Amino acid sequence: MQELAKIYGDTLLLDKKFNYCPGCGHGVVTRLVAEAIEELGIRQRTVSVVGIGCGGFSHHYMDIDAIEAMHGRSPAVAIGYKTASPDKIVYTYQGDGDCSAIGLAELLHGANRGLPVTCFMINNNLFGMTGGQMSPATLENQVTATTPKGRDVHVHGYPLRVPEMMADMVGAKYVAREAVCDAKSIRKAAKSVRNALQCQIQGLGFSFVEFIVPCPTGLKLSVPDAYKWSREKMVEYFKPQVFKNEVGQNNEN
Amino acid sequence: MRTKCTFSGSGGQGSALLAKLVCQGAIKQGLKVVMTQTYGIEQRGGDSTGYVIVSDNFIGNPLVENDADISVALSPSIYDGCVDGAVEGGIVLVNSSLITEMREREGVKQVPISASDMAVELGSVKCANIVMLGAALAATNMLEFETVEQVLRETLGAKKPALLEMNLNALERGRTVYASAAE
Amino acid sequence: MKSETLFLKNTQTFAEAMVRCGVRYHFAYPITPATEVMKHTAVILPEYGGRMVQMESELAVANALAGCACTGTLGATSTSGPGMALMQESISFMAAGELPCIMLDAMRVGPGDGDIVGAQSNYFQATRGGGHGDYRVIVLAPASGQEIVDLMPDAVKLAYTYRTPVLFVIDGVTCTMTESAIFPEAHDYAAGFDTSSWAYTGTADHEKRFLLTGSYTHSQGEEMNERLRAKFERIKEKEQRWESIQTEDAEVVLVGFGIHGRMGQDLVANMRAQGKKVGLIRPITLWPFPDKAFEQLPESLKSVLVVEMNHGQMLDDVRLAVNGRVPVHFLGKTGGDMPLCTLADMTAQINTLL
Repeated sequence: MQELAKIYGDTLLLDKKFNYCPGCGHGVVTRLVAEAIEELGIRQRTVSVVGIGCGGFSHHYMDIDAIEAMHGRSPAVAIGYKTASPDKIVYTYQGDGDCSAIGLAELLHGANRGLPVTCFMINNNLFGMTGGQMSPATLENQVTATTPKGRDVHVHGYPLRVPEMMADMVGAKYVAREAVCDAKSIRKAAKSVRNALQCQIQGLGFSFVEFIVPCPTGLKLSVPDAYKWSREKMVEYFKPQVFKNEVGQNNEN
Repeated sequence: MRTKCTFSGSGGQGSALLAKLVCQGAIKQGLKVVMTQTYGIEQRGGDSTGYVIVSDNFIGNPLVENDADISVALSPSIYDGCVDGAVEGGIVLVNSSLITEMREREGVKQVPISASDMAVELGSVKCANIVMLGAALAATNMLEFETVEQVLRETLGAKKPALLEMNLNALERGRTVYASAAE
Repeated sequence: MKSETLFLKNTQTFAEAMVRCGVRYHFAYPITPATEVMKHTAVILPEYGGRMVQMESELAVANALAGCACTGTLGATSTSGPGMALMQESISFMAAGELPCIMLDAMRVGPGDGDIVGAQSNYFQATRGGGHGDYRVIVLAPASGQEIVDLMPDAVKLAYTYRTPVLFVIDGVTCTMTESAIFPEAHDYAAGFDTSSWAYTGTADHEKRFLLTGSYTHSQGEEMNERLRAKFERIKEKEQRWESIQTEDAEVVLVGFGIHGRMGQDLVANMRAQGKKVGLIRPITLWPFPDKAFEQLPESLKSVLVVEMNHGQMLDDVRLAVNGRVPVHFLGKTGGDMPLCTLADMTAQINTLL
């Protein structure tokens, strides 16, 4: 392990056993976040506020302080934290249920407030930890534990696109959607994680990145099929893109 | 000694200011004082009442509960409330410029004072509340007259000398008129 | 800030007192009659290097307060019934996470939207914990502006000593009352507490730590509850506060908190002047409830009268404390133009019991 630490640095806790299911996209995003923290040299002043759901495990694999908040409230906790300790780097790590179902108000008002905090929303398009129920991001006609005949949009509404809602908010300075379904998209996602944290380090304002991740267990698919499904179905509806990037502009000034 | 006061009127007549001036005077004299918001006697929106209790010891009960020793009724809409809210032996100062019909209540002394007319003579109808304040001070022993003069000087003095002059006159007018009106 | 006497609305007194005792961040959402507190802190906190932060809901307020507390910094909030209801989840969270903070419930008429006029309708919500789980928070019930000022240093010390939210409950009539209070010289009581052993301030000076109110094994849930239970027992033993007046030979004891306790002081004086043996117990901590005040009830006691601005909430605790020794009667009222029992009402009721 010490040999690996030489390569990966101190942020990732490499001897910690993963709780994520085999093939889970969380593993990829967690590592991207850890690598960005390491690269930016902010480990000792970074605090993660995690949501309820599989994302709550994420901080266990990193040598940083963390707060496990109540379901959906991480952005409000992060704002309270940042208000009292503006020199710390605070990011939330939440699932799509935590972030866009129960916690949508705190997220959007957090974005609009424009305080420099970062929210990472890991969208696996269902409630993973509780066994694969519909989330706001579940696709039309998609079968889940609570939509046995598929999501009926006339009853449950339409899959919710979150960063689109923030793109117009003045307080949000970096807004992106990424996917971690193949090597190419993972490399792009890594860049967005760095930009989002950089946005906070520079004190520009709120930053947000959504990640489209496969959940083989929740989707009841093999790992390769889950990745293929996410790459094809999810990415078609939730198009990866950088909606807003004022980090670069600031760098050029 | 404890004095319970009800200062009541319609919007713009300055009953709240009246209550506040009494409070400031009480603090100046090192007395205990409590001011509560309106509970009860208003019959319509726009009326306002300030309840003030001035005491030389701790005020346990902060309520004026139909036991006001001194009431000021500036407008007709709150007149009945002031009369009913007086304690046996209490005094109600009635702004007779606006309240033209009075009714008897045994054990309660009602003193008509044409405060609005006097205020107009003194320069502005707005100082009717201060005329009544002068009368209220004359009717009770709750505060020294000079203390309230001092409070007026401090609140208005530097910024509005002309206004201060008028209000000091109004206060004095209220004091002198009470004695004759109370006959 | 030097010692001075201020004539303020009691909501403003609350704001002044908490800021002068060390609160630097006040999270709030407008709600009558608590709004006056945030209006006041918005003006004064910047002078102390702090800030009032208006949030989008009481849900967000209470969670931002938790986030602030995680840094070891003393934060506060102020609200009224409906806002308290929304905060309950986070109060449970802060109790479980042992996060210190100061809260005010400026109580008004409930349930539902209720009415904005003052009440004591949230006694259950405050003392039973409207949130989920076996937890308690310290509940203080001052009866005057001066008592708000006098209790505030203790509130901050209790919050940090026991690492717990401390909740003030004050009825809206007292909140909107204006009276003078003597403020001692400002002192940051929070600064005297070392939070470095628990605050989540980053791993620069400590090993990784994280706030967990959940459990990864079933035993963790049990351990958390045992730890909290032991703490609550300590608080119950050491922190009961009340005021007793002339209970030694009383035939009837009046029990009231907040404004009714305050009115009871006049009532006892009036009654005693008439030779009637009436006493008063005024709980100052509602949790822990001052059971000890009821341990030594005199032989002369015939009955107890509980008076509240509700339909009988603290009544339950008084009955538990009296434990059947004498009858416990109740007089209560909530809402209306006069939303509380007058001294005349209370006097008449006492006279029927003598």
